[in-house]
Amino acid sequence: MSVILETRNVSKHFGGVKAVNHVDMRIDEGDIFGIIGPNGAGKTTFFNVCSGTIPATEGEVFLGGECVSGMTSPQIARRGMARTFQNIKLFNYMTVLENVKIGFHMHTKTNIFDAVFNTKRFKRDEEFSREEGKKIIERVGLTKFMDVQAGNLAYGVQRRVEIARALALNPRILLLDEPAAGMNPKETRELLEFVKMLNADGYTVAVIEHDMKFVMSLCHKILVLNFGTKICEGDAEHVKNDPLVHEAYFGKGTTL
Amino acid sequence: MYIVQQLINGICQGSIYALMAIGYAMIYGIVGLVTFTYGEIIMMGSFSAFYYFIVFGDNLVISLIFGFFAAGLVGVFVHKICYQRFLNAPRHISLICTIGMSMFLKNLAIIVFGSTMKGLPIFFEGKTLVLFERTTEGFRQQLSLTYLQLMVIITVVVLSLALSLFLNQTRVGMRLRAVSQDRKAAALVGVNVKNTTLLGNSIGCGLGGVAGILLGLYYNSVIPTMGGMAGMKAFSSVVIGGLSNITGAALGGVSIGIIENLGIAFIPNGSGYRDVFAFLFLIIALLIKPEGLFVRKGRI
Amino acid sequence: MRERIKLFFAEHKKMIYIGLGILFAVAPLIVGRTVNKSNYVIDIMVRILFYVIFATSLNTINGYSGQFNIGHAGFMLIGSYTGAILATKLGMGGAWYWAVIPIAGIFTAIVGLLVSLPTLKLKGIYLAIVTLGFSEIVRIVALNWTAVTNGALGVKNIPKLWLFGLKKTSSPMVMYYIAFFFVILCLYCTYKVINSRIGRAWMSIREDATASMSLGVEARKYKAINFMYGAFWAGIGGALMAVYYRFISSDMFVTDEGFNVLAMVIVGGQGTLIGPILGAIIVNAITEVFRFASEYRLVVYGLLIIVMMWIRPQGLAGASNSILAGKGIRKKKKASKTGRGEVLS
Repeated sequence: MSVILETRNVSKHFGGVKAVNHVDMRIDEGDIFGIIGPNGAGKTTFFNVCSGTIPATEGEVFLGGECVSGMTSPQIARRGMARTFQNIKLFNYMTVLENVKIGFHMHTKTNIFDAVFNTKRFKRDEEFSREEGKKIIERVGLTKFMDVQAGNLAYGVQRRVEIARALALNPRILLLDEPAAGMNPKETRELLEFVKMLNADGYTVAVIEHDMKFVMSLCHKILVLNFGTKICEGDAEHVKNDPLVHEAYFGKGTTL
Repeated sequence: MYIVQQLINGICQGSIYALMAIGYAMIYGIVGLVTFTYGEIIMMGSFSAFYYFIVFGDNLVISLIFGFFAAGLVGVFVHKICYQRFLNAPRHISLICTIGMSMFLKNLAIIVFGSTMKGLPIFFEGKTLVLFERTTEGFRQQLSLTYLQLMVIITVVVLSLALSLFLNQTRVGMRLRAVSQDRKAAALVGVNVKNTTLLGNSIGCGLGGVAGILLGLYYNSVIPTMGGMAGMKAFSSVVIGGLSNITGAALGGVSIGIIENLGIAFIPNGSGYRDVFAFLFLIIALLIKPEGLFVRKGRI
Repeated sequence: MRERIKLFFAEHKKMIYIGLGILFAVAPLIVGRTVNKSNYVIDIMVRILFYVIFATSLNTINGYSGQFNIGHAGFMLIGSYTGAILATKLGMGGAWYWAVIPIAGIFTAIVGLLVSLPTLKLKGIYLAIVTLGFSEIVRIVALNWTAVTNGALGVKNIPKLWLFGLKKTSSPMVMYYIAFFFVILCLYCTYKVINSRIGRAWMSIREDATASMSLGVEARKYKAINFMYGAFWAGIGGALMAVYYRFISSDMFVTDEGFNVLAMVIVGGQGTLIGPILGAIIVNAITEVFRFASEYRLVVYGLLIIVMMWIRPQGLAGASNSILAGKGIRKKKKASKTGRGEVLS
């Protein structure tokens, strides 16, 4: 198994606040990798650094063996990383299909002249993004919402649209930032199955979550952050029994 | 020598810009919205003084106070139409609304006041304070400061100090600062956000009005179309100073004044390009430091 | 009823566009037969067509990619002066002018790129002030650089356009069809581009730049392309204007002129193809209605913009559920009454 995403000694400081502090991580191909930690542990900041949304203060990020530190998020996206956001960032005033079509942006090459002169490339690209977009939407089970404005959809559905949009990139690794946040138990269960299905299809997934149960039943490997520092890494059993994790979640001197 | 004289003129003119910028920063800080009507408020202020001089005679201090309140009143009107309704709407809506308001006020002013340039009375009989004098090879060179320039600088400094005292030492000033920092939190501790915003906007506009009078006196004339460029200078100063940072805005204003006058001094035929210098400076400043040259934490 | 009208428009979009096109195509013929001073009316119609080009080009910048350009007059000026100077000083009038028009467009696009490059980092209001500054700088330079631009006198006697030996090419009737050709071209190109991956990239940047970048859209590059595209058509429109009026001067491109075009886009509806056309017609119609008291014209503009923002911020043609509509004004209004607004910074 090869390593897809690796961080070496990554730190991110905001002024004096060390949001992420010297974190090492290796995500193997084909895994579902979980990142957990209490609120404010720096999980989302860590994701933002990995995906190039914000630059790291220190350390390197490797995607498929290539150093992507210092690259912009579009460059990293082109190298095969797709992500969703904690506070859903859909293009609210565009339809679901249009949202997904933008995901195909980097797989198409039309320029202004192609569009104006209606060239073969333009027609091919349009057909490609339309047909593939429909396929992806069908796969996530949203066909009936295809022409609905994304902003009008229910919360749980929006999460799915966001994932569908990320899938359009055909990424080597998919980062999900708190996908279950704000979902009811039924939706969470469905999401669990959905992520498992994606994984079975060959996608490597990294997921941030603070719902322990969700992570424990989903992930092959788990990394625990607290105050920006890695306190534990391993499979579900290992993490469950780690005293530091207990301390982080429940305070000192408690046992499960 | 000529350069130093231009520097003095620049500082003087810059202090007018600084006052305009302070007013603008005040509005931006309190209301949280960018305005394009400010130039017209400056113009309204200067015209109020023009009519004051005609009706009540030449009393400088009272005319400044009159201009302050007149412009503040226009500010209330602008607030009701352009801001109040859009405080929480997407920002471009109120912005476009202020553009409409600016067109409306300017062209109304052209109709009501007439489109021609009007003279203001000359104060201090054009007297000059000679700071430095020397004669070399028969040429007499001197550095001078007109009484008018002195008055302008003093007015601006006094007003700035008064504003600073008001904001930092009075209860109302405290409320203003609270609203500028966090409207929600201010409301939670019992500040009447709506009225405070209105007040802050009016004070900002009033300062703009006073600056308008000074500008009118400085050039000895007022014209309804003077607002456009004045407003843009104020806006530029504020952007250079880092939006809503009052001290920064004042520094930005002074630096624009200096750059303009030095530009005219250094570049032959420069006076036609006067406004170009200000804008080039703005663009360069934004390139170097997009968040403003004189940024400090805190909004007011 | 309202729903049915909406549905009708949605279903027959193509038909409506074609119908409108035919209406525009035959309008001068009808006017020429029926109206007394037909040249005067057709002249106004030519002006409307010019403004359709300007408004459409501004709309691609402001409406589709959500950048805030309020200095469009600067681009119009550059297009006009490029055309006028090439035609008068380099003798590229007449038949050559057909080459000058695209050259003016391309040159303006390059200027657009130069303006946008340093401003790509800037957002919203900073970009706005830079574009405004740019427009003023360009105007002042045109006013003062006498050697090239003739300074305050403006460029006079721009040669007529050659069209298959036709003599009256600067007559409103002929110019109408020339401008009409360019309007169709501009609208067609814009329609195609908007409905391609480029247009989608622009719109995604408008809606959420962070998300759009995470999907591999190089926001900066597309913003720059957007500026170039808008500037290109502004340049084309400017060059056409120069050859029609045969005289241009820098005071035709004051900042108010830019606001004027902005008003058209806003009144018509940003981010829609038909909006700028509607806006250009309405605003020019107002100009004509108030011709007897032309100084009131701009007062009415101002009022129109304010009223528009109060009742329909998305413009006449804008959808009520678009990002520009400022959804939730009413709800939020209540919030501010209780003093619980949010800071908009």
